[in-house]
This record gives sequence, structure tokens and C-alpha cells, in this order.
Amino acid sequence: MYKNIFKDDEWKRSEHMAVREAVGYYLFTHQLMEVTGPDACRFLDYIYPNKISTLKVGRDRYTTMLNEEGEIIDDVVIMRLEEEKYWVSTLYGTKCDDWFYFHSDGYDIDTSEITEDWHMFSVQGPKSKDVLNEIAEGGVEELKFFQHKNDVIAGHEVLINRGGFTGEKFGYEVYCQADDADDVQDVIDAAVKAAGGKEVTEFQVFAWTLPTEAGFYYMRDLNHTNPFEVGLEKNIDWDKDFIGKDALLKVRENGPEREMVGFEVCDENQDFYIQAKQYGGPGQAVYVDGEEVGRVSKLVYSYVKNVNNGYILAKKDTLHIGDHLKIHGYECVITEKNWLQ
Amino acid sequence: MTKKIDGRIPANSGNEAGFTQYNAVQSPWNKLMSYQDALHYASRFEAVLSAAVAQAYRIIIPDYATRASEMCKEAYGRLYYTGINYPGDDGFGIHPFMCGSYPGALIGDKGDDALLMCGRCQDFGTYRCEKELDVCDWDICGSELCRATTMSLQGQADATETRHRKGHKLDYLMVEAKGCGDRHCRIIAESREKYPAPEHELWESFGPAVSDDYKKYTEEEDCVEESMMFREECDYHFVNGTNTETDSSNQMVNLSTAASLYLLPAIDNAVKLGYTTAENAEWIKKCVLEAAGKAMFGERYAIRACREWLGVPNTIGEDGRLLGGVIEMLLQSLVCHYEIEAFNKDEVIYVINRGDLAITGTQSVCEAHLYMWQGMVKTLVNAQWSVWEEDSPKGKMRIKIAKKIDKFM
Repeated sequence: MYKNIFKDDEWKRSEHMAVREAVGYYLFTHQLMEVTGPDACRFLDYIYPNKISTLKVGRDRYTTMLNEEGEIIDDVVIMRLEEEKYWVSTLYGTKCDDWFYFHSDGYDIDTSEITEDWHMFSVQGPKSKDVLNEIAEGGVEELKFFQHKNDVIAGHEVLINRGGFTGEKFGYEVYCQADDADDVQDVIDAAVKAAGGKEVTEFQVFAWTLPTEAGFYYMRDLNHTNPFEVGLEKNIDWDKDFIGKDALLKVRENGPEREMVGFEVCDENQDFYIQAKQYGGPGQAVYVDGEEVGRVSKLVYSYVKNVNNGYILAKKDTLHIGDHLKIHGYECVITEKNWLQ
Repeated sequence: MTKKIDGRIPANSGNEAGFTQYNAVQSPWNKLMSYQDALHYASRFEAVLSAAVAQAYRIIIPDYATRASEMCKEAYGRLYYTGINYPGDDGFGIHPFMCGSYPGALIGDKGDDALLMCGRCQDFGTYRCEKELDVCDWDICGSELCRATTMSLQGQADATETRHRKGHKLDYLMVEAKGCGDRHCRIIAESREKYPAPEHELWESFGPAVSDDYKKYTEEEDCVEESMMFREECDYHFVNGTNTETDSSNQMVNLSTAASLYLLPAIDNAVKLGYTTAENAEWIKKCVLEAAGKAMFGERYAIRACREWLGVPNTIGEDGRLLGGVIEMLLQSLVCHYEIEAFNKDEVIYVINRGDLAITGTQSVCEAHLYMWQGMVKTLVNAQWSVWEEDSPKGKMRIKIAKKIDKFM
């Protein structure tokens, strides 16, 4: 019997639970695109399906990015720093750069990738607010979710954004100049440890196990899906024109063909072999009555619920919560996509 | 029965490989071989050629440890500097927050699929990565190559590490290798901070891994035979865990070989280090590769199969056009440009673009092919026939297939 790379790994468990029970921090630098100019808002409103025009200075918005077929090709957080200045936080920098370039005709804007200038430390967990209040000169007491502000940490100017990828009520992202990162990290590290937390160093924890517990997606989950299939259609602004709108209107009219559902492997102690798309490849096929109805998108571990948990991208209405089925011979059950409730 | 109709290979498969009429290679007798099959053919032929070059290298440095060590050092150094000078993080889906050498696994994963070495990533994390291969055409080249490829991956991973904030170094190990007779190739990369183990020499890259008890073994019935780009269940796309996506439109152009990437550079390095002279190294390569070529068609059934494969009409007997057909199929499969100066029962002459044939820039690849073809013609046609280079224009290799008497052959 082989060990489970999640369940049996106390290192990962301790980093994961630090975020859930106290506070954890990690370097989470994304690629950053800066969009400026008189038409920046109008441009972003065309590129992204969610409404950007109502985004106020100092606030952020999550949105997908679609191709002409209405498929999700990126999901980003857009931050409005000034009236005509936005940051787009993406993990798709090169493609995003090209995408902006090829769609920028007729817009009075400048776009540039500023990734190398900035680092971002994500500080997450119930004690993250206390940590930030201690180390940021201005404190974060009044900072609302998806709101950002300029502040000073360790004598360096930073931008603090309230948000995160863990599902925690309190979580902050500290953007600092790349040259200041060592100083800023030292201060965060000391405060986090003093609060009983630790640095989260494991990619699988901050990219997979923490977000999955909260029902969040990592970009691979969304590959070749549309917003209706993965439950990201709610904030789409249908009153404006945006890339992929025509295709998506058809999906809205006909209904999505697939849906993302949660699942658990029933016996957490068993040695199972189920492939998932998170490592690349097609994911394990899921069959009902001999017919393939979906593929396993993700399979990780919930350290809060102590279950092997994940997502399946399945044909619509073929898998229902509570259904028991065997995946590659292993007993599984369909669940909600949230293990923090 | 579901009556499911599998999706077909997309029409763009091979679009960028330079074909004019069909996305297929074409024999002189108009027999077509699909792009997918051609890629496999080229990969296998080049693996056989590489295996012969490996034998030459074994003659030059007889001691296993010395040979493997030199090969690993050369491969590590070259790929490290390639990684430093030609960074490609975005192309592999390496994100800015991926510090340390674990993103090297993403480079290996994508490279494997492009080289038809299909399998799966089983683990990808800051402290541990695991990749399992079911197929590797290079598994006939000897275990030194398995060690060297592992160290080239280490070199790329270490180069990637330099572009990010400080992270954790991973030790890349090939704990199972098809070249050693294992069912799979299995790379486990593990952090010595989390999984302590004594330091080892560069060439001692077979493990064991401390985290071996986390490995995920794929049983025979679940093994795959094709890369993702040729599998319907993958929608004919390679996609890794960070969403790097490629299709099969131009993989031929990217095909590299064990000989071009590892073995011929290892021999050049052995000359540089004084294990032999350049002349002797060339002589050994010539001897071994000619013998390997002769062995390809030593039995009549191999000739019959080859004629059928090329669609050679019965009216064509034993002459140089047979080898010409084989060479043309290979050159097209490698996207190597060539001109036909003569193609008749008495002589066949090709003018081949050296730059295209010198895969990954290794110039001696051209001569290696010439030696192999000289051996092949002796058994595919008969001993009256030879292949030699003659009156080559600059940057080209003009080869002639014709009858030749040479008392010192």
C-alpha cells in the first residue's frame, strides 16, 4: 500500500491548518498587467464579461475572460487603482498580453506587464487581520473584502488588498516592490509566527487544498468550460458587449451541457488510484451505467473534513449530490463543492 | 454499447510541418504515411541510430561509471546554460510564485509528450514531483542515457530556480527506467530538506528516492501508448496542470533525438577531454553505425516489409531507389528539406539541407546518418551499392547512391 501524498503528509497538513486555525502566509506573486488611459474602463468592459464600469477606485472585481466561443481562457482579479489605471492579476501573462494587444484597436489605452516590479505575499486566516493591523502603519480595520489601500510596512510603501484564494473571511494580499520583498517578508514572517501561524511553502496547499475546500478553481479546472458550467455566470453583465457574448447567449438559451460537481472518496484510509486533471492529462473517466458521463478534474484532500475531495466535470444532470458510484473501481460519493460549510 | 463516435484527429495536425498536399509524408511511389505515423517512424529510426551511437560511446569510454559521469556532467552543464540563456517559463506554465526547482517538472512533462514519451504526472508540489512514462523510444540506448536525461532535467530545473525568489532545491532521480528493463520510467524529484538523504554524484541519479512509498504505480491495463496530442480522450491536446496547451500541428519540427541531444555531444566532449582523438572517434562511429545499418535489412523479410511500406512496385528490382525511398520518408518526417538531383535505376542523388538534418544544431548528426545509410544500402539493395557524399554545396550534404567498387571498403 502506498502513502497518500496529501493525507499522510503532516507537513502539508500543518501548513493547511495554520491558515484555517490561525494564520499562514505565502509568496503568491501573479503576473500583473497594468492598463491605463481614458478608454481603460471601456476596454476592460469589452475584454471581460463581468461589469467593470461600476468598479470604484480602491475596489477589485473577479471575472472570467472568454474567447469567442464563450470558453473561459482565464480568470482574474481586476483592481482599480486610479480613475484611469487598473491592475489585472492573472496567471496567464503572456497570453493575456497578446489578447490585449489584438483587441486594443480603437481604444486609447496603454497596457504593460509589470510582473517583475512587484511581489505579493498572501496572508490568510482568522488571525490575518491582527497580523496586518500590527505590521501595517495604517492598519486594515476598515478594509472591506475586495478593497485595497496604500500603506507602509517595514518602512516600505505597499498596497494591501483584502482578498484571497482560501475561502477565509479574513485574508490580505500585500503587494510590495520586488526590491523591498525581503524586508516586507521578514516583518510578515515574524508577526505571523508570533500569532501562532507559519509560512505556507507547499504549492499544493495554497493552490489546491485550501482553495478546493472553499469551492474555488485553479485555472486548469476551468479549461474549455464556459461560465454556466462552472457556476461563474452570476455577475455577467448582459447589457454590454463583450468577447464571447454571442456564444454565451446560446448557452444561456439552451442551458449548459456540463456542470462541475464535488465528490469524495468514501474510505479515506484506502489506497486508491484515481487520476485527476490537476496534474495534466484527461483525468479519470467517470461512468454511470456503462456510459462515460464525466472526468475527474481535481482530487486533493480536505484537512478540515479529513476526506479525499475533488471536482468532476460531468454531463449536466447525470450526477446528483448523494449519488454513490465507483470511479476506477473505488467507492465515491457526489457532494457539494464546498467543504467549509 | 454507447455507440459513441470518437473524435478524429484534428485537421490542423501537422499543419506547420511544411507539407504541401496532405498532412502526410509521401514515398516516391505515392504511398502516404500519416503525420502521426511519420512522427513515430522518425522517432524510432532516430532511437535506433542513437542506440548505435551509444555503442560507439561505450567503446570510447569502456568504464560504466566514468562514461555515465562524463555524460551526466556534459548534459547537466549544457542544459543548465540553455535554461539560463533561453528562459521559457511562460511556455511551460511556470508561475511567478513557483520558487525553487520544482517547476522543472513542468519542463520535463511537456518535453516528454512532445517526444512521444507518453505517461502521466503523478505528483507536482514544492517538495516532491513524480512523473511516470509508459513509452520511451529511447529505452534501447542504454542506462547511461537514462541517467544523463535525468541530469539534463536537473540542469533545466536549476536554471529555472535562478529566475525566482529563493526556494527549495529538488533532487531529480530516475528511480525506474525502461532503459534498465523497468515497466515504466519514473522520475521522482524530492527536496532534501523534507526528505533527507546523503549527497550523491551527478551520475548516481537512479535513487533510491526517500519518498518512494508515496509513488503511484500505473498497472499495465491503464498504461497509454500515445502522447496526449494524439489521444481522443485528451481532445488531441497536451495540457499540463498549469494549463499549458499544445496540439500536434508542429511537433515534427521540434523533434530532438537522443543522438543529437546527448550521445553525439557526449562523444565530442570525450574527445575534448582526451579519452580519444577526433579521428578515432569518427572511425568508431563509422564502424558501429555502418554495422547497425547493415543489420536493419539483414533478413529478406525486412526487405519485403520495407518495399510494402514504401509501396514499391514489383517492376522495380534491386537498386538505389529503395534506399532513396527510405531516406525521403525520414527526411520528410524530420521536416528536413532536400532536393532530388537524380532518381533512376542507376543512381539516386539528394542534396540535403545540413541545417535541417543537424537536429538541435549538432552538426555530426549528418555524418551519423550517412554512415547508417551506407550500411543499410548493403543489405536493402546489395553489396555492389554504396552511399557517399560528393561535391556538396555550402551548407548542404549532396549524397549519391550508386554502384561503387572500393578495394579498401
